[in-house]
This record gives sequence, C-alpha cells and structure tokens, in this order.
Amino acid sequence: MIRNIKIYFSFLGASLKRMIEYRVDCIIGMISQIAFQVIELIFIWIVFQNTDNIAGWTFEHLLLLYGVTMLSLAVTDVLFDSTYSIGYRLIRKGKFDTILLRPVHPLISILGESDTTTSLGYMVLSIILIISMLIKLQITITALLVFKILYLGILGGLIIGGIQTAFSIAGFWTYKSNEVVWSVFQLHKLAEYPIEIYNKFIKVLITLIFPFAFAAYYPTLEYLQLGKGNLIFIMSLIVIVEWIIVIKIWDWGLNKYRSTGN
Amino acid sequence: MIKKILAIAKQETSENLYYRFDLALYIFNFIIQITVYVFIWLAVYKNGNQILGMSFEQITTYYILVVSLSPIIDWGINETLGNSIREGEILKELLNPISFFCYYFGIRIGEMIEALIVGVITFFICSLLFGVLPPSGIINFLIFLVVICLAVIVVYFFEIIIGMIAFYTNSVWGIEIFKRSILNIFSGMIAPITLFPEFLQKIANLLPFKDCIYTPISIYFGELSNIEILQVILKQCIWIVALYIIAKIIFNKAVKNITINGG
Repeated sequence: MIRNIKIYFSFLGASLKRMIEYRVDCIIGMISQIAFQVIELIFIWIVFQNTDNIAGWTFEHLLLLYGVTMLSLAVTDVLFDSTYSIGYRLIRKGKFDTILLRPVHPLISILGESDTTTSLGYMVLSIILIISMLIKLQITITALLVFKILYLGILGGLIIGGIQTAFSIAGFWTYKSNEVVWSVFQLHKLAEYPIEIYNKFIKVLITLIFPFAFAAYYPTLEYLQLGKGNLIFIMSLIVIVEWIIVIKIWDWGLNKYRSTGN
Repeated sequence: MIKKILAIAKQETSENLYYRFDLALYIFNFIIQITVYVFIWLAVYKNGNQILGMSFEQITTYYILVVSLSPIIDWGINETLGNSIREGEILKELLNPISFFCYYFGIRIGEMIEALIVGVITFFICSLLFGVLPPSGIINFLIFLVVICLAVIVVYFFEIIIGMIAFYTNSVWGIEIFKRSILNIFSGMIAPITLFPEFLQKIANLLPFKDCIYTPISIYFGELSNIEILQVILKQCIWIVALYIIAKIIFNKAVKNITINGG
C-alpha cells in the first residue's frame, strides 16, 4: 500500500514537471478556465439583480459555495485528469498494454500521468472567492478553518475523482472514454448551487448516488457554522467507502478489456 | 456551388453521426444544464419576485430554447479550422476547386445538422419534463426559423474572422474559448438580455450576437412587432455583408503571410 502511494507520487511529480514545461499552454488553459467560470459568475450576479436570496442563500453565500466547488474541482483536475484519456490516448494507441505489464496496479500508473493546465484556473478563482467571501461574511479565519478548507477540499476532489474514475471504464469498450467521463463530471453543475432548490429526486441523486453535494454544499455549510455532525469524519468515511467501490468497478472493467493490438 | 456545399455538409454529417452514443451524452448534458437553470429561477420565483413581466413558464421556455439552440449557434468550425491550420491540412483546403469560404460553410452546415438533431431531441425531452409554451403563431415560428438561419451565417463569418487569428498564434484553444465567452454572454445564452444591467445591455445592442439567441426567442413569444422584425432581419443582412468583407480582407492578408507547420 505505502509502496503504491510512493510510486503514485513519483509518477505525479514527473507529470507536473512536464506540465510546467509548456508555459504558454499552461497560461492559456488557466485563462480559458477562468473565462468560463466568470461567465457563470455573471449568470449568478444577474440572478441576484432580481432577488436577494435563493432558498435563503445570499449572493455572498452562493459565491462562497462556488469557490468551495472550484477548490474541489481543482483537486479533481490535478489528480484525475488522465481518466479522460484512457480510451483514446492509452488503449487505442496500444500504450495500455505496457501499463498492464508494470508491477503496480494500472490505476496508479494512469492516475499518476495526470497533467492538466486548467486546474490552475480553478485554483486561482477558488482562493480569491473563498478568502474574499469569508472576509465579507465576517467569518474569522482561524488555523482550524484553514485546515478544514484544505482537508475537505482534497476529500471533495477525491469524491468527484472517484466518480470520474469509475466511469472511465467506458474507455474499455469505446476506446474513447472522454465524453462519458465528461458527462458525469458535468453533474457537478447541479451541486454548484444549494441543494435546497432541487426536488427530492435530484437531492437523492447528488447526495447518495453521486455524492457531489459532499464536495461543496456540506463543506460550505460547515464553514458557515451551519453544519450538523462531524463532517470531517463523515466525509473521510464516504471517501473510503466510495473508493473501495470504485476500485471494484474498475477492476471489473479491466477484466473485460481487450487489447486493440498494435 | 450550393451542390458542392451540400456534398461537403453531407460528408461532414455522416462523419459526425458515426459517434451516435456521443449525441446521447450531449443531450444528457444539455438536460442537466436546463435543470440547473429551471430550479434556480424556480427558487427566485418562490421568493415572490416578479421578473420583468416574465412568468415562470416563460423563463422555463426561454432556457429550454436557449440550450436547445446553443449547439446550432456555438459549436461551429473553429476547432476544425484551428486544427487544420495547426497540422498543415489548410494547404490542401486552399487548393480545393471550391473556394475556402464555401468549403468551410459546407462543414459548418454539416456540424449544424448534428447540432440540430441534438437540439430538437433536447427540446422535446425537456418540454415533457418541465413544460414549454408553444410559439405564439405559425408565422412567428417560421420567422423564428428564418432569423436563426441568418444568425448561423453571421456567426459563421465571425468564426472565420476569429479563426484567422490561429494563422498567427497557432493556438486553437484560446480562440475557441474567446469565441464562446463572447457568444455566451452577448447572445443572451446565460439570461434574457432585458435582465442584464444597463451597460451590458448597451454592448449587447451594438453586437450582432443578440439576434442569434435572444431575438429569435422574443419572436417565438410574439413580443416583436412586424416593423421590429423587419429591422432585425435587415440588421442581420447588413452584419452578414460587413463581416463577409472583413473576413475576406483578413483572409487575403493572412494567406499571403501563411506559415505552415509541416503538412
């Protein structure tokens, strides 16, 4: 287990270095990501020109929720970007067989290869939003709060990343998995807003089936001191259970894998 | 010429339709998008707000139409064009017996047919899920379609102009993002333009993109008088001519200084 984790981080370190190498791509990726998010922020702003709250959430609360979502997405993006390319970059081009021959679990090799340029955009935006909204809402920033934000942010990233990883097995059949993973990833849009606004079906969908709500909504409640129960414990548990299931699903998918030959 | 354009469009469409499963995923994503919009505005209406005379049914219909129309307006050729500049394919395309603008217009129509399938299915599923208001009349609905067709031509020339930047920068991504950001904000995709703050409304009125999404939907609701409709169509025609001339000038300049990476 510890050996696996070590190998994973050495893979990840190598790909992060590769990412910094291409500075122009890096900057374009960052700016584009910020541009897309700014469009959504403009949407939220326009909505609040017409109302002062959504299901009891003010503009500042909603921006904090948005910032917290961005933090989880940044973590997801850094660690799990390669789930998009299993079908296309690895399987179709025959590289996947080399990965299978390595003496570690193939998932470690694959996830270690993540290199993404968009995550910096999420990161910058989330830090700006979270800090400015905490100040505006007059929540004292203590060391405990900072620890909570970082820890829950990483857990949130693992929750979304787990869902992505589970669906990346589609690549074993389609040899081009990115659209499937991307579609599931888009479900996070539902969780960017307070879940009180949805009907029962969607509430169940994003808390129990795909626990996106734990990547943003519940942590935000915790920071606003509205949370119930010990969220750090609950989320740790969710991540562990989720990943046990995800690895089971992934191994099952791997059994169905047939090489494209090369 | 029209025959040639249609032949290219047909080829492009059959290429795109090969990935039928992807279409289902696009539809799924659009439904999610509409769901988010509908529930947010539902929460706003629950607070007892009246939004500029729009009823909740109207705003639901607005977003269902926006999202269903969005692929027709914003998928476009920029990815294809950017890649072909990057990989040197453009050289072959410039030597085609059909003019460059026509060739890419064929590809644009091919893309549009895929977008149309996705859009129509999204519209029907969402109208069952959330309910839509019917168009205010058959004639209004026909004009709605005409204005959208003109809008596609306007956007096409805009895409060509933006795409020419790739001759100089070699960046495909940046351009695509730039185009989408402008379209998303100023066409009324994120919200009806009347809900915008005043300075954004002013900018939107100056640009042609308002008539790509917002205006056709107003026509669908029957909010524009006959004279206003004529003005819109005239304005679109002027934009098409203006953008065509600009595109031609930039294109002629860019082709002279072309540098191709391999090919």
